[in-house]
Amino acid sequence: MNKAQSSPTIKKETKNTIRVEFDRTPFWERMKAKLVNLYTLKKVVWYLFRFLLMLGVSYVILFPFFSKISSSFMAPEDFVDVTVRLIPKHPTLETYKAIITDNKYFEALANTFILSLACGLIQMFICCFIGYGFAKFKFKGNNLLFLCVIFTMIVPHATLQLSLFMKFRYFDILGIVNLLGGGLIDALNVTGGTTSINFINTNWPLYILSLTGLAYKNGLYIFLMRQFYRGIPDELEESAYLDGSGVFRTFFGIIIPLSMTMMITVFMFAFCWQWTDNFYTELFYTTAGAKLLPDIIKVPKSLDTNYAGQALYTSAINNTCGILIMAPLIILYLFGQRYIVQGIERSGLTAD
Amino acid sequence: MNLNVDAGKGGKKQKIQVDAPGKKKKGGASLDIKKARAGWIFVLPFILGFVLIYLPIIFDSIKYSFNEIDILVGGGYELTFVGWKNYSDAILVDTSYVTTLVSGLKQLVLDIPSIVLFSLFIAIILNTRIAGRAAFRAIFFIPVILSTGLISDIDAANSLSSYMEESGGIDDGSGQESTATEIISVMDVERLFDNMMVGTEIVEYVVNMVNNIFNIVNRCGVQMLIFLSGLQSISPAIYESCSIDGASGWETFWKVTLPMVSPMILVNTIYTIIDAFTSNDNQVMSYIATVYEQADGNVLSSAMSWMYFLVVILILAAVAGVLSSFVFYQRKD
Repeated sequence: MNKAQSSPTIKKETKNTIRVEFDRTPFWERMKAKLVNLYTLKKVVWYLFRFLLMLGVSYVILFPFFSKISSSFMAPEDFVDVTVRLIPKHPTLETYKAIITDNKYFEALANTFILSLACGLIQMFICCFIGYGFAKFKFKGNNLLFLCVIFTMIVPHATLQLSLFMKFRYFDILGIVNLLGGGLIDALNVTGGTTSINFINTNWPLYILSLTGLAYKNGLYIFLMRQFYRGIPDELEESAYLDGSGVFRTFFGIIIPLSMTMMITVFMFAFCWQWTDNFYTELFYTTAGAKLLPDIIKVPKSLDTNYAGQALYTSAINNTCGILIMAPLIILYLFGQRYIVQGIERSGLTAD
Repeated sequence: MNLNVDAGKGGKKQKIQVDAPGKKKKGGASLDIKKARAGWIFVLPFILGFVLIYLPIIFDSIKYSFNEIDILVGGGYELTFVGWKNYSDAILVDTSYVTTLVSGLKQLVLDIPSIVLFSLFIAIILNTRIAGRAAFRAIFFIPVILSTGLISDIDAANSLSSYMEESGGIDDGSGQESTATEIISVMDVERLFDNMMVGTEIVEYVVNMVNNIFNIVNRCGVQMLIFLSGLQSISPAIYESCSIDGASGWETFWKVTLPMVSPMILVNTIYTIIDAFTSNDNQVMSYIATVYEQADGNVLSSAMSWMYFLVVILILAAVAGVLSSFVFYQRKD
């Protein structure tokens, strides 16, 4: 077959085995032919370009975090010292201590944790429910209702600022509260007159919005869940129905375990966005009574900022507050990020 | 022959089947009706919230924008109808609303293509084989979780990171001193584009885009993931047949990748518009928020935000209309 090469020699070793010997091209020659050409060069250059670009963009994202973290350990002297950029000369934990004790960090953390956890869980289940209803059931007005979901997503919440406040300041649906009088108000442990409930400074407004799928970005969650459920084949449920399982049993027994990834994604979004939210918290918590994380962003009393590096020092303190707020989220993100990425990637998000 | 007979029988069978649900109806609802009912139950929380809370809120908000509001001391409030006064005040009396609106919309129009293009670019690179892909993906997604609400407010009032990035002036021979915070200077780009016969607007746009990179990267996490999911749903068989037919990577991108992700481009453009104009760090929104804080500003801010909403709905409709005529759907079923 190969006449250019010297023909291989065949030795008979034993009765059943033979040994073939032929001249192989040396290893280096082979590798050279394989790797030293324009095609490989192009590939390597392109790979390096991609990798460096990714590194660069990652740096752009991560640098502010580094600078925040390093500045949070700096003593006031470091901010007037021109030679100090990223690494503090007088590392100190004073800023952290002052914020934690003076601004009552842990109290705010606990309150926000309860609020975010409750809102996250409620929104996760409710959006799962609603999304499943939109994806798998054909009923009259399905599309129209889904348009309403999109509508709630489009209207900016600042448009509704005043009326949201008014709604929950004088809360009364269809005159029910008016009818029941004081009983309901006592039951919910809130204050108010006999004609309406005052929900301001309680967690109720956010719970109610979460329960009805109207809270921050819930339209997006419903959309994500709907897209995900549309990707699940109908045959799965049909076989469950044939085996005599009802709609709800099928949902809780088969669909919910299947959609765990997606639900974790929605929960992470809901939890994190509620955690860092300052629109609703500023709207619904008007007095200093309810201690939430937005309240801790201020300069602690025990720190003296009245000197030359004031502007930088104050903003470093604010950033330290930011780090303290973010810290639990970063831990959560480290554990949950692969769910978020997988969740969205598997949702089969398409434009239809 | 056998088949034909079967078909005939099948026809007869169907007739019988048509009767069956009719008989069943006396006992209970058919599966379809049952399923429709279950669907209503699943969607019920949203319907309740929408009808009982959301619609009244929308209605109230529109109503307030036509009224003056007085909070009474004893509790309760009083409305006086003033017609279009709030709207005309917003446009004619308030000096900065219209200018903020115009510059805000201009910013929106400039930002959206760069965000969508950048996220598509990053998604395509992340979709190829690269070391530490999972880590990069995780890093790119950090801003979605962390740069919202409070944190972005802190960042907005932050002089620290810009101070740290400063590494002294770099003399680029243009007489002006540029700092390292401006990643490239206008001069560099102008030199680059000097012989390319393009207008100064494009140069400025590119420079702004590069200098805004942090902002853009921060805002394209979700879009990037949506593109990634779209790219991964393209069958590898298509790429394989392309490479067998001898198409280059460039041709494959324009003839295969781009048409296949075009539905995602539509979704992402709409998402970006909504995200950009409902976010709090948008200049129009922050202006409206400051107006809300002023005395008697709450009704005025309602009127302002409704006008803003109308404008953006128009933009949204126009963009969706134009883009959807370019979108390619692989199958229509």
